[in-house]
Amino acid sequence: MLPLEVVGLAKSFGTKRVLEGVDLAVANGEIHALLGPNGSGKSTLIGCLSGALVPDAGSIRIGDLEKPSFTPQSAIAAGCAVIYQNFSLVTNLSVADNIFLGDELFRGGRIDHAAQRAATAELLATFGRPISPDQPVGTLGVGDRQLVEIAKALHRHPRVLILDEPTAALGEQEASALGQHLRHLRDEGLAILYVTHILPEVFAIGDRVTVLRDGRVVLAAPVKELDPPRVIEAISPATASRSGSRAARQVGEADVMLGVADLKVDEVGPIDLEARRGEVLAIFGLLGSGRTEIVEGIYGARPIDAGTLSIRGQAYIPRSPADALRHGIALVAGDRRRQSIFDKLAALDNILLPHFTRLSQGLRRRRTDEQRAFADVAEQINLSPREPRALGWTFSGGNQQKLAVGRWLAAAARVDVLLLDEPTQGIDVGARGDLYALLRRLAKDDGKAIVFTSSDPAETMTIADRIIVLRRGRIVASLDGDACDERQLLTIAHGAENLEGGPPMGVLAAT
Amino acid sequence: MSSSVDIATGREPSTPDPSAQPTLRRIRLALMRNALPVGFVGLIVVFVALGAPNFFTLGNFSQMLRLSAPVMVVAIPMAFLLIMGYVDLSVGSIVALTAVVLGLLISELGIPAPIAVLAALAVGAIVGLINGLLVVRVGLAPVIVTLGSLAAVRGLAMWLAPTPVFGFGDDFSAIGYTGFFGIPWLVIAAAAVVVIGGYVLAYSPIGRHVLAIGVNAEATFLSGVNVPLTILGGYAFTGLAAGLAGIMWAMLLNSAPSGTLGAAFELEVLTAVMLGGVAFNGGRGTIRGVVLGVIFLAVLQNGLTLLNVQAAVAAFIKGIALIAAATLDRATLKAMFAVKGR
Repeated sequence: MLPLEVVGLAKSFGTKRVLEGVDLAVANGEIHALLGPNGSGKSTLIGCLSGALVPDAGSIRIGDLEKPSFTPQSAIAAGCAVIYQNFSLVTNLSVADNIFLGDELFRGGRIDHAAQRAATAELLATFGRPISPDQPVGTLGVGDRQLVEIAKALHRHPRVLILDEPTAALGEQEASALGQHLRHLRDEGLAILYVTHILPEVFAIGDRVTVLRDGRVVLAAPVKELDPPRVIEAISPATASRSGSRAARQVGEADVMLGVADLKVDEVGPIDLEARRGEVLAIFGLLGSGRTEIVEGIYGARPIDAGTLSIRGQAYIPRSPADALRHGIALVAGDRRRQSIFDKLAALDNILLPHFTRLSQGLRRRRTDEQRAFADVAEQINLSPREPRALGWTFSGGNQQKLAVGRWLAAAARVDVLLLDEPTQGIDVGARGDLYALLRRLAKDDGKAIVFTSSDPAETMTIADRIIVLRRGRIVASLDGDACDERQLLTIAHGAENLEGGPPMGVLAAT
Repeated sequence: MSSSVDIATGREPSTPDPSAQPTLRRIRLALMRNALPVGFVGLIVVFVALGAPNFFTLGNFSQMLRLSAPVMVVAIPMAFLLIMGYVDLSVGSIVALTAVVLGLLISELGIPAPIAVLAALAVGAIVGLINGLLVVRVGLAPVIVTLGSLAAVRGLAMWLAPTPVFGFGDDFSAIGYTGFFGIPWLVIAAAAVVVIGGYVLAYSPIGRHVLAIGVNAEATFLSGVNVPLTILGGYAFTGLAAGLAGIMWAMLLNSAPSGTLGAAFELEVLTAVMLGGVAFNGGRGTIRGVVLGVIFLAVLQNGLTLLNVQAAVAAFIKGIALIAAATLDRATLKAMFAVKGR
């Protein structure tokens, strides 16, 4: 009997049909990958499996129990454990407390902290990370919190483990470690459903694949029988392929828009970089390498400790985002949900918030000007649906990111330097393509200087003219986009090019 | 889709296409969203039925609106603060302080009424500014700061005037009971505040900033809005409005009793604002809702007074009203988003 089986599942929100006739089955000892563009119904499907949502039709079998719908308690009791993108950990409590939350070990009427601690230590040992059971979760980095979340799920010995884009916030090393742990669990007989955007992962650890599109299953097959192009075609037929065309690079002595020298922010630095007109500069580095600190520091969102900056040749001291904007520098922040999107406000507000003052006449807003500005931006970013009154939370992740980028594209913005922190995190293939095309256009046609951070070598190679590699808060290489490849990027970022950290062979050395 | 943004609406409608939902649900939803006007009619019917003497007279309604004017002028800026996710619990004490200062300036120092009024307003604004600076600059929690002010400012008022202040002058207090073509001056002043507040919230960039801060303060900061200044402005205007309310009370009472004036005022203001649909966590709210909330409470209090209900019982009922408001608000929100577990 299959530990997880879904037959004919359907779910609508109002008139919107989100799932239709979905069949899915995961066997013991199998890693089953679930893919699909944003808005395809993946999260809704997971919601139904976890008991958070009630399907309109169809049946779900978890373990021995087959029901038309579950509640979170009954789903967990039946053996379904879900690891979400947004963790459910309590930051004030320790790792052990979190793992045993709601499931405490009692002895003689009191919580047996020692036993909990021991059990936690054992669970954590398999991950090989320096995490102490007594550590407050709040002190852990994202990757480690992810592991605690998984340990929490595992200790209940689930029949099926569901992971929703688990590597979204992880760096290469952590992601591959996770892959290994999952393979290990699969070999021990666990059924794993793995929702992801990242194709290499699917081919690295997946056994079977199901692709959802527009709420329906469009592909279900063993990974062995598939190749990447076929899967991409199922996800997003006839859109620009993930590796966008790299038009002729103009790496030269174009005007320097933004100059940064000796920048020190928190533990990161010193950093030197130049963003040139019409050029796309990538800051490539793994999680924790300091990318976010650098762009937030330049934007004035984070106090800097030292550094000499200039914009268009004139001295610039980043004091605040408002100040940065006055100088023509804008940032699309890394954490979309927490830093960019107004979920309860309309799309128009999301895009035009920084510009209302400029678009108004004194205290009076000019609606027609606003509508026009919205329409213009929505066109540029290819927003879907193109409805100014739709609220932020109704948009898919990819479209939300478009809103965040679109905020700085309004003509009223006058942005010369656009900084983006991991702009394609958690975004489907189609929206990624749109975003890459948009960034190239902004650079080449509009002459802006684009600086984006990334931990994805393929993406970096796709659109960057020049690449700076960051490792542990320092620049270790500065490369020309044409003169390197993905493997080199990863190698350098890992510090594996040689043992002593000296200049990498055959590549332009860094400052 | 829906009709254009109506006056003082802070947000756009958000239901998934309503015509697709079963009729019963639509009726329920409509009832919830219009709970206040429906509640009014209900209240009025109840009081008339219970035979509250003189309830349905022009004189009574006039007096009722007059008495609600102080609450109304403070409820507007308080709504702005709440939408942003902040609060000012010290407004009642500011009312007392400004009334006392006004009275002392006029009766003890012989300062002409118009100048004394300006000075009293300034006092209110300054207290508001201090509250705001402590919250924004020092980073203390609003509840703590304004609870502290509540006590400190009340103490200051009582120190300045150990016994009630009199001597406002007949001209001054007459304003409280005269009007313009039958409409009391106090009501006109309150209406002006409402109109300005409503306009700013719905039609000006500041109004958008306020809502945005309530929905996601960090994103608003990263969008280049001066968030601390906006919050500070909210506190300053709340203080100023409390000053105006203090002046209004002085006109109504023709005295300033430092110990009792404005006691439980903040409770009334907060109840009215939340009855009006402004969530305590911020991010939602309309001025129209606030106005309805204030008037609802005014009608409630008025009816209870006319029925000779004991003050203690009346207070109890008003407390229940606050809880009911919060419950209704939560239920409406859930019904609107219609997603289980959200």
